[in-house]
Amino acid sequence: MNLDYTIRYTAKNTYQNETNGALWQFLIIPENNESQELISDDFSNSLNTPVENSVNGYDFRTYRIRPKQSFEEIEFTADFKIIKKVENIFEKVSQEFSEREFEDLKSLEFKAGNDVFLRNTDLTTLHQEVDFKFDKTLSLFENLQNLNSWIKEEFTFKTNVTDIDTDLNHILEIKQGVCQDFTHLFIAIAKQFGIPSRYVSGYLHQGNGYFGDSQMHAWVECCLPDSGWIGFDPTNNLIAAENHIKVAHGKDYTDCPPLKGVVYSSGKNETEYTVQVSSQKQQQQ
Amino acid sequence: MKRKDNNPTFESYNRDPKLYDEIFDEHENVRETYKTLFELYSEHSAQDFGRLNNKAKASFFNQGITFQVYGDHEIKEKIFPFDLFPRIIDSEEWEHIEKGVLQRSKALNAFLHDLYHDKNIIKEGIVPLDLISSSENYLDQMNGFDPPGGIYNHISGTDLIKHSDGKYYVLEDNIRCPSGVSYVICNRTALKRALFGVFNHYQAHTVTDYAQNLLEILETVKPKGVDVPNCVVITPGIYNSAYYEHSYLAKAMGVELVEGRDLFVENDFVYMKTINGPEKVDVIYRRIDDQFLDPLEFKPDSAIGVPGLMAAYKQGNVCLVNAPGTGVADDKAIYTYMPEIIKYYLDEEPILNNVSTYHCSRPDELKYVLDNVHNLVIKPVDEAGGYGISIGNRLTQEEIEEVKATIIASPRKYIAQPIMSLSVHPTYIEDKECFEPRHVDLRTFTLLGENKEFVLKGGLTRVALQKGNLIVNSSQGGGSKDTWVLKNNQ
Repeated sequence: MNLDYTIRYTAKNTYQNETNGALWQFLIIPENNESQELISDDFSNSLNTPVENSVNGYDFRTYRIRPKQSFEEIEFTADFKIIKKVENIFEKVSQEFSEREFEDLKSLEFKAGNDVFLRNTDLTTLHQEVDFKFDKTLSLFENLQNLNSWIKEEFTFKTNVTDIDTDLNHILEIKQGVCQDFTHLFIAIAKQFGIPSRYVSGYLHQGNGYFGDSQMHAWVECCLPDSGWIGFDPTNNLIAAENHIKVAHGKDYTDCPPLKGVVYSSGKNETEYTVQVSSQKQQQQ
Repeated sequence: MKRKDNNPTFESYNRDPKLYDEIFDEHENVRETYKTLFELYSEHSAQDFGRLNNKAKASFFNQGITFQVYGDHEIKEKIFPFDLFPRIIDSEEWEHIEKGVLQRSKALNAFLHDLYHDKNIIKEGIVPLDLISSSENYLDQMNGFDPPGGIYNHISGTDLIKHSDGKYYVLEDNIRCPSGVSYVICNRTALKRALFGVFNHYQAHTVTDYAQNLLEILETVKPKGVDVPNCVVITPGIYNSAYYEHSYLAKAMGVELVEGRDLFVENDFVYMKTINGPEKVDVIYRRIDDQFLDPLEFKPDSAIGVPGLMAAYKQGNVCLVNAPGTGVADDKAIYTYMPEIIKYYLDEEPILNNVSTYHCSRPDELKYVLDNVHNLVIKPVDEAGGYGISIGNRLTQEEIEEVKATIIASPRKYIAQPIMSLSVHPTYIEDKECFEPRHVDLRTFTLLGENKEFVLKGGLTRVALQKGNLIVNSSQGGGSKDTWVLKNNQ
């Protein structure tokens, strides 16, 4: 069975003083991969500036616009249609405990091949012990599921208590945060154990009461020697599946913010955005 | 011919038998290559040299060759001190150097390709993974990318010294934005103006062909589908310490010198703003560090870069020279693996020697280093320009303890090497109006393009102007000498 999704992303930037040129890059386009297919994409803005298609440093598609006139306000709207495959992730995953899989994590071949996602970054480095411990009698997958539920149980979803620069120390202290904080925490703990882990930015299908449905969402992908890359959503204690629509990945948030810009302006500015994801079940042919 | 024969300006020249003297051998005889020069210099009095020295200095003032030194909160503009006594390298010795630096540059290029693709040298355990994963200069964005022509380090600056055993050793490979080549050319100009009568007696290779060769190299790595590439030099601006060089090279190649704000990216192509409208740019010789190249991809507050430049590069529409991410391979910790790197990729024995090195990241070597600080040079692995170097036998006991504490705090950041005795060369000392021995090194410049390579026949001989000082970087108060590479038939 497949699911049809339509996604609308809207953003509005307001500037206290008139700007004199700008360049924005949007990393919001659902990627094409084994489990999802981008059917159409459309992007427009209130200044009718032509849209350029480009890529970011990790080869994910981006939109870019460079308004030449001066302005105080600009709105952006993007519409996407995608088809998402509904599949049973548990069938793909090796859940059997195997000592060899633990050993494989240590092999030079595996470590060198996934080096980028084993590196420490400022946002994914732990400076203190955490209460979560890996259990060497369980499979790696089960351990990561446990990590997923540990984060969900120990931490409370709360907006406006953290921002994009909040480090893990602070999150461990206040035990609150949003999806990107929990994602960074998951990545840090998994990497410390030697599991290559990356930050995923994307959309979460709303309607089931999950957190993170009116904004862009973040979750984790971990590379397991026997199963490849598997997505974990610690904010909702879910395995990323048909409700998770991936846009991009990187080492941490700084590699995949939805919007980056260079704006020639003085004074304050504000950015607001919202996301709507709706689905329709598709009959199997 | 002996040192003191009829040469008043050399009377007070004290040869240190422990050091290799470039012009006097162990019996105080003048070496073959320097005989003519020495004879000609005997005809001049101390006053003559004083006068010539002023003439050479004036030549530098007039050419506007200055550089800046970054120090404790202040920036000083200085004239690069130039020396009247040229360094002469005979053709046989040069051939050895040339082959050696070319070999290193090629090995580094292959190494970079491997690091950004299959990482075989790491998977086979030859270079340790943590050297790469702890390097801040590794750019993930370059992973799996093939730069035009397969070239990463188009321009390499290799720093060599001659040790007391009379052999050349490589101290450092510089493959980010090596600078100094403009001084090579200006030194030649100044020397010819001041001492044409002397220069004339030797047949030295020209150095002014560098810019022409650089332009040809840039043209070999043009993007696909471009017929005659439009090349530019991008500079951080007039406050950069090497701005003179950026403007010199642009002028000598006959290409535009631009700053970030002169370029823009549209639909992944790079354009230069001109009074006749936008002009597409194909090859950029960039003298901006990686982290400042593109605010969309690297430091977001970089005002000297070009937003969108990395995407244009990765789409194959523009070539950046040197490629971003080369810094991972010229790290001082990687340097110590150069012999293995050369053997691995080229299946050749290294032509030039490496200085043996202790890694403070390895516990047993760390112990040796901590016990022997007084006999070692301690270097931070990621600082350029001679900053942060401690020379063990110059330190007080208290300073040694400080150095030890710094190393223990972050062992990965430091390596140690035996104290190499750089060779000495007669250098004109202004306030004494005579020649004295001073330590020298040599920076060579190697160019790699697609099916083209070039080594500048000459180089920058840097002089430590303070007596006994071993650090020759211009930022540490060094000067330089014109360097003559002799043609075959002399």
